Amino acid sequence: MFISDLLNSGSLPVLETAAQFAGRRQTLLAHNIANLSTPNFQPADVSVKDFQASLAEAVDRRRKQGGDGAPLDLKPTREIEMKAGGGLALTPRTGTGNVLFHDRNTRDLERLMQDLAENTAAFRVATDLFKSRLELINQAIRER
Amino acid sequence: MYGGLDVSVSGMIAQRTRMDTIAANLANQGAILDSSGKPNPYQRRIAVFMPGDPDAISADGKKLGVHVGQIQLDDAPPKKVWDPGHPYARQVPETDAGYVYYPNVDPVTEQINAVDAMRAYEANVAAAEATKSMIAQALRLLA
Repeated sequence: MFISDLLNSGSLPVLETAAQFAGRRQTLLAHNIANLSTPNFQPADVSVKDFQASLAEAVDRRRKQGGDGAPLDLKPTREIEMKAGGGLALTPRTGTGNVLFHDRNTRDLERLMQDLAENTAAFRVATDLFKSRLELINQAIRER
Repeated sequence: MYGGLDVSVSGMIAQRTRMDTIAANLANQGAILDSSGKPNPYQRRIAVFMPGDPDAISADGKKLGVHVGQIQLDDAPPKKVWDPGHPYARQVPETDAGYVYYPNVDPVTEQINAVDAMRAYEANVAAAEATKSMIAQALRLLA
């Protein structure tokens, strides 16, 4: 279809995946923050580096396959999985590894808040770029 | 992402409940009688957190988040204050005769815990704000 081709072209699928990842990871970070004072709780995260490597690889593969119109095929990692409907499923396995506190929690508030700020910024970048791409399409449709 | 909001809210609720127990401990630090008027000093309450929130609305919120699993009583012995003229001074056991039992609440510990609960609450508020801004950002794509 014309519309789906339009929305699957260029950087749009990549930006969509990046925003999806940040959205899902936000829930995990919120979970870690909510359990700051839970005894025996070990905060876990997903590796952003692994996701970015996987995304970069998928982008390269897409370029080789047929450029702009080809679908983005993200290979699953040990933490990230593409769901059939098109969403991402995250399984946190990366420990954040701070010292063990007296209540057997390994919280690290500063790092958590930093991750949160970075994740929000990453989401903002992805959505802002997405928006400007959509505006570009809009302009092309309106011929001005 | 709405699940993220649920998770942060569960953290806020849990920390507020913890703050309630701290307030109760501070308020009752002089309560040497129980509710029926017997000399039975108040025992310190401790809110114990558990991961996961069964009361959450979204599936993510149920799986993630935090809730107060139970409110435990501190079994530490009461503080004994030597005050033989007090109407509730102990007669038995022999070794404690003349002592009044006061709650095992240490105001300093409670204050520190209150600060900790407040900061943890603020961290949850910050996370909720971040999630909110992301939701707004995503919704702005439509407009």
